[in-house]
Amino acid sequence: MNSAATPVPSHDISTKIPLYEASTQFKHWRHSPEGLSRVRQSQNEVAVAAIRNNLEANEPGSSADVAFLTADEEVLLVRLYIAKITPLCANFRFPEEVEATAMTYLKRFYLKNTVMDWHPKNVMLTAVFLAAKTTNNLISLEVYAKGIPGTMPHNVLDLEFLVAQSLGFEFAVWHAHRALWGIWLDLQNLPGGTLDSAAYDAAMSEIRASRLTDVELIYTPSQIALACLSLVSPALSQQWAASKLTPNGSETSLSLAAVQGVIGDIQKIIKANGAPPSVEAVRDVDRRLRLCQNPEKIVGSKLYLAKQAEAERKAEEKRNKKAESVRKTMEGDPFGSTLPPSKPGLVDYDDDDDDED
Amino acid sequence: MDEVVKANAERQKRWTKEKKVGEGTYALVFLGVEVSTGKKIAIKKIKVGELKEGLDMSAIREVKYLRELQHPNIVGLLDVFSSKTKLNLVLEFLESDLEVVIKDRSLVFLPADIKSWMSMTLRGLEFCHRNHILHRDLKPNNLLIASDGQLKIADFGLARDFADPGYKMTCQVITRWYRPPELFFGSRYYGSAVDIWSVGCIFAELMLRIPYMAAMTDVDQIKVIFTALGTPTEEEWPGHTKLPTYVSVGQFPKPALRELFTAASADSLNLLSKFLTFEPRKRISARDALLHAYFDALPYPTHPSKLPRCSKPAEEPEADDKEGGKGKNNRLKRKLMSPEDDAKIRPVARKLDFGKLAANSP
Repeated sequence: MNSAATPVPSHDISTKIPLYEASTQFKHWRHSPEGLSRVRQSQNEVAVAAIRNNLEANEPGSSADVAFLTADEEVLLVRLYIAKITPLCANFRFPEEVEATAMTYLKRFYLKNTVMDWHPKNVMLTAVFLAAKTTNNLISLEVYAKGIPGTMPHNVLDLEFLVAQSLGFEFAVWHAHRALWGIWLDLQNLPGGTLDSAAYDAAMSEIRASRLTDVELIYTPSQIALACLSLVSPALSQQWAASKLTPNGSETSLSLAAVQGVIGDIQKIIKANGAPPSVEAVRDVDRRLRLCQNPEKIVGSKLYLAKQAEAERKAEEKRNKKAESVRKTMEGDPFGSTLPPSKPGLVDYDDDDDDED
Repeated sequence: MDEVVKANAERQKRWTKEKKVGEGTYALVFLGVEVSTGKKIAIKKIKVGELKEGLDMSAIREVKYLRELQHPNIVGLLDVFSSKTKLNLVLEFLESDLEVVIKDRSLVFLPADIKSWMSMTLRGLEFCHRNHILHRDLKPNNLLIASDGQLKIADFGLARDFADPGYKMTCQVITRWYRPPELFFGSRYYGSAVDIWSVGCIFAELMLRIPYMAAMTDVDQIKVIFTALGTPTEEEWPGHTKLPTYVSVGQFPKPALRELFTAASADSLNLLSKFLTFEPRKRISARDALLHAYFDALPYPTHPSKLPRCSKPAEEPEADDKEGGKGKNNRLKRKLMSPEDDAKIRPVARKLDFGKLAANSP
């Protein structure tokens, strides 16, 4: 018992929930297929209504003829930019984890935002930069921006906070390619002939295809990994799944049939959407996006300028107030008058005076 | 307004910040309360806007890991929100830390108290390691104490996931006195054993009430370690002389731990020697340490609520206590200080026998 060199026993010290189920990915980023389209649908409707308002405010009557993007069209556009993350990461020789993480970030970002507010071309650059940091593959901002033609450091940084916020500051991602590696290690421990590493490589290609789809927003990494392996070698995937069932099969709710059902669903999605969308199909969407972008977010538009002016006016007001109160203090009793009662709960969080030096 | 911005505004209304209690190079710490319950909390406000690389790596690490880790012995991250360009981490309010407790000369530690702190530290660490996370900065100052006596591991600014075999990591981690010898020798491939060495140093410090192996420079630190535990032989730690920055600092005999830890039980010395094993692969794991006979033997660990603690709340003046002023500052200070900031030089734990040293040098 006291020997430090013995391998870790397979049973757990306490009966806890599986590690994966304690993750933010399990708790906050899992949807049913229907739930996922509902989220996107309502996201799209809210965005269209807000932009229509803004267009009208900018120029009355201007929203009548605008063909706003549908939820499906938004997804299509985002998928094009997810596919572009691969060559971008290859350019910087980032490990696969950066690429996979950035793709997840981009998908999660657009569950909270619309492409009509934030163009995926820009968000993608920020997502990759942030993913490099969160996976411990830090690159200097300057080097990063230099490596991408036409990009300035501020283009990357401007959206970083918004992206982090949209992710709920939940940076940890559980990836299917890690699960596949785990399955592969398991397989090496099972009796049977030697494994052909070509099967692993082929399954990895399926994993990469799966990243262009929604499967990670619906299924667990291990389900996706098993589905990908099964596409390549049904025999290996069966052998592994069978090894995970308890000997008499009664103590677990897991049955091979149920596993096969889930795997089949995942495979259908990968086959349908596992390739990058054709540029032709997206071109029309992108062209229309230029007409229905939220004017509030377009630098130089009337509404954008109005919003900037409003923010500036508020800041000015605040500065004046502060100057006024300082002046008053200076004029009166140098020791000040009696202190006003403190009012906890009324803290202005936007008041960052406490750290302006 | 954007959904994300709206949600953020909702979040920040749930907390108030009342007074600033600490300031460091990258963050400010405020005390506050949860509006709905009146429960005390701490808000760590991280400057982001003026950083030219954007979100800072330690902030990212801290948020990434604390978001995932929920355990009674790991500091709770209750919420994250932003105000303008500042990142606000809402953390459990913890009134003290183990360093303050160790330094409070008015407190007497019973063996059962030490066992209690050790078991809480190991349970928190076992949970990190089970989640494939290395802490990489364990020290008494990062083990916070809640008002109910629970010990919680804090400061994940240097933490990272276990790397795959063959993937290099930096060896510039862990505060010097708690850093294992393999990192001084430039080992770039390591695992959970680095945290275990720190736990061993903390265990010794709890028994001695002063840091066990405290040196002023990295080179001296190796010498201090080898003086305390004896220079490892090739058999004890195979291959260590081949590590990238290995230097020979001389042959030191292996003293019996008993000589210094005169009051310790045989079980505790056995466990201590397993924490401070040179060969990282033979160093005990957090999980096996929890199963060690030390924790089964009498006396049983003290209940957290009955552990020694600094008696007076931080706000009260402590006129009759010479240590009072210092203790107060320490309690208010959060994790914003590196050991280099800490100008005080603490006494070296053991007597260095220079006569013997010279005699044994080649």
